[in-house]
Order: sequence, then C-alpha cells, then structure tokens
Amino acid sequence: MDKGFKILERMVQAADIRQKVIASNIANSDTPGFKAKDVKFNNLFGKEMKLSATNPKHIGAGKAGAISSRTEVEDNLSWEDRNNVELNVEVAKMTENALLHDTAVTILSSKIKMFKNAIRTK
Amino acid sequence: MDIFKVSASALEAQRIRMNTIASNMANAQTTKTDAGGPYVRKDVVFSPMQVTSNPAEKFEGVKVREVVEDNKPPITIYDPGHPDADENGNVSMPNINVIEEMVNMMMALRAYEANVRSFNMSKGMYQKALELGRQ
Repeated sequence: MDKGFKILERMVQAADIRQKVIASNIANSDTPGFKAKDVKFNNLFGKEMKLSATNPKHIGAGKAGAISSRTEVEDNLSWEDRNNVELNVEVAKMTENALLHDTAVTILSSKIKMFKNAIRTK
Repeated sequence: MDIFKVSASALEAQRIRMNTIASNMANAQTTKTDAGGPYVRKDVVFSPMQVTSNPAEKFEGVKVREVVEDNKPPITIYDPGHPDADENGNVSMPNINVIEEMVNMMMALRAYEANVRSFNMSKGMYQKALELGRQ
C-alpha cells in the first residue's frame, strides 16, 4: 500500500525491542557484574527509501517486516562491583525511546485516519 | 509482555533489599540472637534472571540470588551493666552503621522508583499502540 506504513511499523517495532533492553538495564542497575546494553539498528529505513524492488533478486530488496539489529555492550566506566549501568542515562534513553514510539504511533494513527476519510468520502 | 516481567522482578528484588535493610536497622542494638552472639548484618546479592524463552532477545530481569551475612567483626563496647557483658565488662554489639543503612535504603528507593517509571512508560507505550485505528 503505502511505504510509510512499513517504515512506521519498523519504527514501532524497533522502539519495542529497545524498550525491553533499557528496562533490563534499569532492572539490573544494582546487579554485580552486569553490563549495560543498547540496541543498534541497521538500515531501519534504508531499504524502503530506495527504489522499490519487485523481485527478490533486485538489489536493495528488503524482507518485509524484518529489522536487523545488534545488541552492544555500553563502554561506561564500571563500579567496583563491575556494574556499569548509569541509571539517569537509562531513564533518559527510555524517555526518548517512548517519545519516538509515540511519534510513530501518532503518525500511523493520522495516516489510518486519512485512508479512512478517503474511503468514506461520498 | 515480557517487559513487565523485567520491571516487576526488579520491584520484587528491591523490596526484598528494603526488608533486609529494615531488619538491619531494627537489630542495630541486638546483642543476643538464637544462634548466639550479636545480630549479624545481612546484605542481598542480585543476579540477572532470564524472563524470555527466546535466546535471541538480549534482556533480563533480576532476582535476589542470596542473602549473605556481612563478615565484619562485631563492635566491642565497655558497658559492665549490660546483661550480655562478659567478665571484663565488654559487650559485643552488631557491626551496623545506621548511616550506611540509610544510604543503602535511599539507593533501593531510587532504584525502585526508576523501575516503577520504567513499568509505567512501557504501559503507556502499549496503551498508545492499542489506540491505533480508533477515531
């Protein structure tokens, strides 16, 4: 249908994955030896932004709905219990992530509303 | 919905930590226990806990692995009138520093609050997503 849907869907999905990792960091802020992690997303939008590929053999054809991500360990300084979670940084990251998620959902909502209006118009 | 298990496990762990601290403070003057000798300070040890069956997902909850006893020696004070004083008038008091316990309590409180926030933010995200498509 509209490529915007796919991109927004990926944004929501990415925010969901990242939210879990940040929540895990906050939960383990006092666990000895725990290292803070963060998720990095590769070409979250890249493939949809490029030329549309109508054949899977086309260069730049992305698999629908699949987002590739990798979890990286943060290189903060560790405390004497070998834990390197910075609680304030994690809370800030989570706020930012929730905002990103809500932005994507809001745009998705208005897109759906647009389509609904277009269908209903007499 | 695994994300709620992560936050809930942390709330539970911090609550156990809070109970331990409260117990330490309550027993700061306890000179006689069932095991004999003064009360020994307790501390909790956290460890990560798997909450998802999918090994590809890199997030963990937390659990209290064990409650350990602090091996600091008891403080000896001179108080010949104390019922637990030895023949020289010395009493072994628990090695509990109330200020240290207060600091730990504040840390547990902050961690608890951060996890409540984390829980509410995740809840807000899902609620927002549920409104999709509604007018």
